[in-house]
This record gives sequence, structure tokens and C-alpha cells, in this order.
Amino acid sequence: MIVIENASVITNTEIASGIWQLEVESPQICSEYAGPGQFISLLTDNGWEHPLRRPMSIAGVNGSQLTIIYKIFGDVTILLSQMKKGDLLNFLGPVGNTFSGWDNADVNPILIGGGVGLAPILNLKKACDDNNRDAAIIIGARTGSEHSMKHDPDNSIFLTTDDGSVGEKGTVMPVLERLANDMKNVMLFACGPEPMLKAVQSFAVSAGILTQLSVESYMACGIGLCQGCAIETPNTNGSKHSYHEQFSLVCMDGPVYPASEVTFA
Amino acid sequence: MPDLTTSIGNTTFQNPVFVASGTFGYGLENPDLVDVSKFGAIVTKSITRHPREGNPPPRIVETPSGMINSIGLANIGVEKYVREMVPNYEKIGVPIIMNIAGSVEEEYCEILDIVESVSSNIVGYEINISCPNVKEGGIEFGVDPLLTEALTSALRKRTEKLLILKLSPNVTDIRVIANAAVNGGADSVSAINTVYGMSIDSMARKSEIYTTYGGLSGPAIKPIGLACVHKVFNAVDCPIIGIGGITDSADAIEYLLAGASAIQVGTANYRNPAAGLSIVEGMESYCSKHKISHITDLIGKVKTHE
Repeated sequence: MIVIENASVITNTEIASGIWQLEVESPQICSEYAGPGQFISLLTDNGWEHPLRRPMSIAGVNGSQLTIIYKIFGDVTILLSQMKKGDLLNFLGPVGNTFSGWDNADVNPILIGGGVGLAPILNLKKACDDNNRDAAIIIGARTGSEHSMKHDPDNSIFLTTDDGSVGEKGTVMPVLERLANDMKNVMLFACGPEPMLKAVQSFAVSAGILTQLSVESYMACGIGLCQGCAIETPNTNGSKHSYHEQFSLVCMDGPVYPASEVTFA
Repeated sequence: MPDLTTSIGNTTFQNPVFVASGTFGYGLENPDLVDVSKFGAIVTKSITRHPREGNPPPRIVETPSGMINSIGLANIGVEKYVREMVPNYEKIGVPIIMNIAGSVEEEYCEILDIVESVSSNIVGYEINISCPNVKEGGIEFGVDPLLTEALTSALRKRTEKLLILKLSPNVTDIRVIANAAVNGGADSVSAINTVYGMSIDSMARKSEIYTTYGGLSGPAIKPIGLACVHKVFNAVDCPIIGIGGITDSADAIEYLLAGASAIQVGTANYRNPAAGLSIVEGMESYCSKHKISHITDLIGKVKTHE
């Protein structure tokens, strides 16, 4: 069930350059939470200058505490970064479906994240750890200061940067291809900027690897009313909530899709 | 307790707060988040003769104090609507106003005939002649008084239920279109539909909406809606349903003062689907505080400087 509640800020800290982590007390949403992949939609502005909620992936749930990770992008995220302990934020959630299949004993999960796509991927990594599933994780960024983790290949944590300042130079793709070639029964889980998702999708399709992508979309309501968050999909049966075949609603049918069911523009 | 009931034509509603077309689905989607039985009425998303996929993404973008949408009337089509949605309306305990959109007169008539052929607790029809986003949304009618009147008369012959024509602000003089609707036999007009708008991403140098132009809604358009309602109220003798940027009870009262007999909450539902319920409560306290025994006493009572 989706609920609306005023979540109380516990911590709000910059964990890397322009990347923030917000931890709130949100007992109702936490009790409805179904797993990594789900998101919340929040309001920072009690006035109406910014009328729409902002969908943000859940980066972790611990008891009644919920964590999100956001990137400073515009006015709303700047406002969000100014929230202090005890401030209340209006949250709607949990929304959407979850990653699946990662807990299957026959599967070796590789998790790929970039930018704000980090949030659900870290959440999934924790779920894998908690379930004693060895999961490799690859995180991409433009430069080292945008990374919040340590490059640690011995523990299957791989960082990449466009400028080579941290981890491996380049995109996540060469690392992914190398790992996927070395491992058996691989399954990929990715969230990040569209060019990254496209590259993962194209690799996965050509290599025949099962892959789930968590996609982003502009969203007004988050509960299937506005039909604004539609994405194109080649699938003719999967979109239960958009009432038609060509489009799927990210809020109700997503945000996690099999790679084969997403058509990028 | 102040009396919040209001009438449109021969139908009385428990309060003047409706939810606007396109912002509450078919009325059956979210029983958990909101007690819909407390609304005055639910106006459904636009129903067309055949199912519609809608426009390609991006379909929405936020703008200062508003948003632009170009959904493209995505809907299941009237046949599936009658089969799958209409029977469920008995359960939800709130009057349903079905919104109808089409591209030619025959299409509107056909849709109405199909719905009228089954028994339902739909109390009326809001006729969309003002969707800015698709040709099939009736905008051709909405900008032409002769077509508006002809369409209204054709529909009037087919139903005894409430007939409400939803007007566009994207016209030279909204009073002319309102008058045409009333001459054609409409019980009421609702105003306004969204205002043509455009949003550009300067970094990408690209339009933010797939169809380039879309419909602007939200608080940004409230002054436009108020002016339209006030103009129509002073020119045309029919109840008006006010729409445009209503987020709280003060906004709603302003629309009543401008001349509306009821109001619709639209974009605010996206932020909080229960927004209409706090507006009902706020209207009640406004009436108590200002010793207004019946909410309809406020209709058209704005004082002007002339």
C-alpha cells in the first residue's frame, strides 16, 4: 500500500561532490517497503513554486529509517540539501516494483550504478550481502570526487571515472564486459544515466545475459493517475496500467524492467 | 454547520469540490489514499470512441508554479470503459461525471449513445472541446461558436443527464463560446481547460515536451481561470464550474466569488490526491467564520472597483 507521511530528517550529508545522502524516520513507508528498486516521491517546497513531487530511489531501509541518495541538480535538490535534523519532508511511497532474481542461488549478480542511479544499486548490494549472495558492484562517475566508495577489486567493488582519477579510467562497460566474461550464470542489475543504461542494455542483449534496468522518468503523481511518466516499450503485454501496449507507466509498471522491455529514445 | 450543497442543472452535489478530468483516472484507482465519497463529484479522464495510446514521452514537465502536460488522451476507449469501469461506480459512493472527447460530432454522439445505452450512476457528461494536445481532443469545436452550439444540441437530444461543456482559455472571447454552449442546451460550462504552453531546456536547446506545446496547469493559471469564470458569469446565464490552479480553500472561495457554482481540483491532486478533502474542510471553516449559512451565497459576490 502506498502511504503519505511526514518524514523527519535524521541526517543529511554530502557523501561525495554534489551527491547527498538523506536519512529520515518514515515508519509507515518502511513498513510497506517491498525491496530494492522501490522509490519514494517527496515534496521539499510547501509553497507552490515547485508543484511536483520528486521521485527518488530508496537507498536503504533499516527498521523505521529510510535513506535516499540525491544529486544536486536544481532548485529543489538545493532546498533538499538545506534540510536539517528534525525538519519534516512530505514523502509518498513506497512506489514501484523491485529488482528480482538476484537472490536466486544459481545466479551471480553484477550490479551497475552511476550518478543518482547509485541509490537502488547500493540498496540491492546490501540486500545481497544480507542474504549471503556475492554480488560484484561497478560504479561509474565523471571524476573521483563524485565517488563515495573505495575502489576495492578484491571485494568485487569496482569504481570507474571518465578522467581516471579514481579506479579504472573510462566507463563501467569494460569492467562489466570483463567480469561478465569471467563469470558464469551472470545476471545484471543497472540504474544510472540513460547512456549508461543503453550501453548495458546493448551489451546484455548481444551477450544474451538476463538484465534488469531501473529507469527514470518525469513524474507528476507517482500513483498512476497522471499518465505522465510513460516510457516506450516494445513489449505488448507488460503494461498493465497505461491501458495500452506501446507505453508503460514507470510508477506502476516500473521502475525496474527487463532490459528487453525498454526502448530508449 | 454551514450548508455546502450546490446545484448544477437539476443535480445537487453534497459540496462544490470536484476533481478535474485527467487528474483522477477513472475514479477507481486509489481508494487507499483518499476517501473519494467525500468529494462533490469525480470527473473522469477523457474517454474517446476507441482506445488511445497517448503521446510519446516526455509528456510532462514542471514549470514555475505549474506544469505542462501533453498526455494525448491516453484511455481505454468507451467500450471497455462501459464494460470494466462503469459497473464499479456503484461501489464508490460519489457522483461520477464522465468526460468525453472526440474529433468529429458523430464521434461524441456515438460515445454518448454507447454510455446512455447502459444503466449507470453517471450523473452527467463533461464534453471536452478544449484539449490543446491532440486534434482528437475537440479543440476545433472549442474555438468555434457555431460548431460548439451544433455539437451541444446534438448531444442534448441524446441525454437528460447533466451536460457540461468544458471551455478553452485559448480563444479570443470565452463568453462567445460559453453562450454558444448554453444556446445549444448545455446545463453548465466548466472553465478553464489548460493554457497553451511551452518549455525549453536551454542547455540541451530542446523542447521539453514531445509535442512541443502542451497544456499549462497549476497555480500559474489561476488568474486566467478566475478572469474567464468572472467574464462568463457576467455574460451568460448558466452555472459555471471553475477550474485552474486551485490548491486550497481560499482559491476555491475565490472561484465562487468570481461566479463559479462548483470547482474542480486538478494539478493539486498530483501532489496530494486528498487535496480536495482539505478544501472541503477549509470551505466549511470559512463559512462558519464569516457566518455564511450556505456556500452558494458566495457565488459571483466579488466586489469590483467599477
